[in-house]
Amino acid sequence: MSKINQLTEAEQEILEFIKTIPDPEVGVNIVDLGLIYEVDYETTKKQIYIAMTLSARGCPVGDTILQHVHTVVSNMYPEHEVQVDLVWEPLWTPALITEEGKATLNHSF
Amino acid sequence: MQAGLSTKNAPSPKVVLPHYAYGAFSFLVAAVLFIFSANDLTITTLSPKILSLVHIMVLGWITMVIMGALYQLIPVVMEVKLYNEKLALASFILLALGTPLMVLSFWQSFIAINGLIMIGGTLVILSVILFGINALMSAKRSTVRSIQNRFIVTSIIWFFVAVYFGFSIIVHPQIQQYNTLQIHVSMAVVGWFMQLVVGVSSILMPMFFIAHQLNERHLHRAYWLINGGLILLNISLFFNFASYVNLLATLVILMGFSFFFRYNFEAYRKRLRKSLDVGMKHSVLAFSLLFISLISGLASAASGYLGMMWATKAQLVFGYSLIYGFFSALILGQMYKTLPFIVWLKLYQDKVGKFKTPLPADMHHAKVADAHYWTFLVGFFGGLVGILFSSYYVLVIAGIALFTTALLYAFNNFKILTHRQKLEPIIFPKRKL
Repeated sequence: MSKINQLTEAEQEILEFIKTIPDPEVGVNIVDLGLIYEVDYETTKKQIYIAMTLSARGCPVGDTILQHVHTVVSNMYPEHEVQVDLVWEPLWTPALITEEGKATLNHSF
Repeated sequence: MQAGLSTKNAPSPKVVLPHYAYGAFSFLVAAVLFIFSANDLTITTLSPKILSLVHIMVLGWITMVIMGALYQLIPVVMEVKLYNEKLALASFILLALGTPLMVLSFWQSFIAINGLIMIGGTLVILSVILFGINALMSAKRSTVRSIQNRFIVTSIIWFFVAVYFGFSIIVHPQIQQYNTLQIHVSMAVVGWFMQLVVGVSSILMPMFFIAHQLNERHLHRAYWLINGGLILLNISLFFNFASYVNLLATLVILMGFSFFFRYNFEAYRKRLRKSLDVGMKHSVLAFSLLFISLISGLASAASGYLGMMWATKAQLVFGYSLIYGFFSALILGQMYKTLPFIVWLKLYQDKVGKFKTPLPADMHHAKVADAHYWTFLVGFFGGLVGILFSSYYVLVIAGIALFTTALLYAFNNFKILTHRQKLEPIIFPKRKL
């Protein structure tokens, strides 16, 4: 499993595609919000695994965000099997937001 | 992907959206009634016009929107599906029919018993029973045992008792000697509305502020103080205890709300999202206006020590600042935090990732929302000045400002409800690897 700060070049490219997905509530992309925990690219098995979380358990648009990730990655890698898992460990905290995310957060209105 | 998320648990928009539309319409009608009630508001707390105004605001506007929002928020707070959507729809229809009948009856015949009030009151009671069953059965299925959940369930129990007392007053007016009107009002305002708001907002505010690691012990203290104080107040009112007991009970309740304040203020202070959107601006305003209700509530409880004129003014300011201040500002703001998401999910849930979809925040007219923030401020503070100085003309001007607010709010409501946008497919860049 590749943690978010130890990605290969191919996994980093997948992360860049995921970066096009905004959180509908705050308008910041979900990578900069720190919601993506792992991206794993099994080249030989043609499998992509993504572990992600949400900023709150009851997030009303949580399911749609997960679906969004699945659709975008599946579109980019049609010959691959894509799995997106929602995890609650470790629990998301605002400390996971990147500096870019914090900047966008405060300039989005 | 995981099941059990709140999107999957969310009720059909058909159940939720009519509540918002009806609420916006009621707020508009109430503003017209406000203008016609201006004279009464300079002299008394209770008249046919004021009773009509209070009930269209409380039932048609506040209860209506809160019920609709709660159907959407139950999956968020309790992490379960709503117990029964048909019950919710039936509850909406009953409240939508019962409210205008009650309002009309109060306007025409005050508290006299007639066909309108009997039918209207019965419909409202039935609506409340169906709503209560739905919410309590959903809570029963939930495995979440949070303090927020406990606030919501307790508020629904108070709601049942409040409506029962209200209807009993109409049917048996002689029971008013036991202060049943004050009991009805305190249960409805503190037990139902305020407590529900505490439960729901202590989840939503930190979520929208993006604030973590808050001290939940404040909420536990708030729960016991608010409910303990309310029980004491009702016993004291019913048995006609000395007025210092009412004052003591009110102080206990206010202490409870001050803990809730502390919790929210901590969320506000620790928020990562420093700039506030229009929804949160209204919400912060609502909590600021609650201070006026707390002070005037205390003055109302001590009305035995005030002269007749100031006791009336304190009670008027208390009711006005809660209904037109706190609750209205909160609903005006939270509409922007809930309604666009409901419509957005309905329209774009299956389109994300394939088409360029707008954000929920782009679905209303931003300048209109900003404008009604200011007209609301003018209207609310104008009304406050008008009540304090018994000025008919200031109250009429305030009514016009509140009508403008309601009109602009209804415009944005309609814009969101009827939102349609032609979508363009997303063209993805080529993969490098």
